[in-house]
Amino acid sequence: MTYLLWAVIILFTFIIQGRVSLFDVSPNFTSVLAYYAGVRKGELGGIFLGSFIGVIEDSLSGTFLGPNLLSKGLVGYFSSFMSGSFFRWTPFLGAIAISVLTLIDDTLVFVSRSFFDKMPTSIQAAVFIGAIQSLINAPLGIFLRPKETQ
Amino acid sequence: MPKKKKPLLFLFIILSLGLMTYQSSREHLLTFRFLNNTLNKFHAIVNSVKDSVTSPFKRLLLREEENIRLKVEVKRLLKEQQEYQEALLENKRLRELLSLKEKEHRYITAACVIARGADQWSNILVLDKGLSDGVTKDMTAITHKGLVGKISGVSDSYSSLLLLTDINFSAAVRLQESRREGIISGTGLRKCQLKYIPYEEDLKVGDVVITSGLDSLFPKGIPIGYVSRVNKKGKGPFQNIEVTPFEDNTEIEEIAIINPFRNKDRVAGLSNGVKR
Repeated sequence: MTYLLWAVIILFTFIIQGRVSLFDVSPNFTSVLAYYAGVRKGELGGIFLGSFIGVIEDSLSGTFLGPNLLSKGLVGYFSSFMSGSFFRWTPFLGAIAISVLTLIDDTLVFVSRSFFDKMPTSIQAAVFIGAIQSLINAPLGIFLRPKETQ
Repeated sequence: MPKKKKPLLFLFIILSLGLMTYQSSREHLLTFRFLNNTLNKFHAIVNSVKDSVTSPFKRLLLREEENIRLKVEVKRLLKEQQEYQEALLENKRLRELLSLKEKEHRYITAACVIARGADQWSNILVLDKGLSDGVTKDMTAITHKGLVGKISGVSDSYSSLLLLTDINFSAAVRLQESRREGIISGTGLRKCQLKYIPYEEDLKVGDVVITSGLDSLFPKGIPIGYVSRVNKKGKGPFQNIEVTPFEDNTEIEEIAIINPFRNKDRVAGLSNGVKR
């Protein structure tokens, strides 16, 4: 049942992502999903669910397999620190963490695609996209909290 | 960072980097390519559900406003109708005559934009027409305002439209007034860049840019945009020119797809016929 729910949420996320835009920039909700997986399921769950979301995103984007797999996996892994003893979760920290992880995700995808394939967009546009996406995701960090804080 | 999870993290990073390195010198692995079609189907379903739910409400809200506006307009139009009738008929005849040639040889189909591409970095739109409607890769997409982009990928029922603002888009162009040739490229943002225009060329803001047809990818004479900024202070032998496309990416809803090679095929066929 949990897996089915995750599958539905992932599909729904990709549909939403393809239908909305702010300043001509699509949001990066899949990064939020990877963050949430890490926060709720810990390092292992985060890395596996994050990688799974990344593989799907890589396949859908029609480029090569790897950039999103790596970045989303790492987002899932590092977001798990929010629920451990490393950080003590607060709504503000949640917003900061999700913004920073979205920026890391965007940077990793941009760098790995530029390095292993071809530059997906200009550096100026990449900075703009990263900034907008992390701003869109920041408020969501207030609501996505670890289990133990609920 | 917990010590026992560290090896897992490194293993994951090494595996990902290895996978990307492997693909950089070989064909790309795409495990769930079929998902793209499924996702596009969902987009189409969501579109039709949204339309069927919102259209009655929209109609109700607009009706009152529309009624008042239409009454005023009907009075005005009735008066104007007589005057325009003759000109309209003449215009229609001439337009049909002109567009017939274009439509018969180049027009393929009209398509609706159903979503933005799944790749957040590229300026790609998903269209509701594909191979079954006669759309193939590299066909040209236009609106009444001008060039929108080209078809970059096609499946049976859907296709991807690479917008002219994408960094991977380039086309041979010409300045409409001075007839100087150049290359237009996307920047990833809303503007395009016009390249290879020498410093001695006197450009004005507002100059119209059209396709030159010299790249054999786009038909000649399609309007693209206008010069919005000229910078002569940069390095190198060429000017730094910014072009604003006539068609705003965020406003594109329907486009027409044309086959730029059709005329050529016809001409080639005719010349073959003459040879025979």
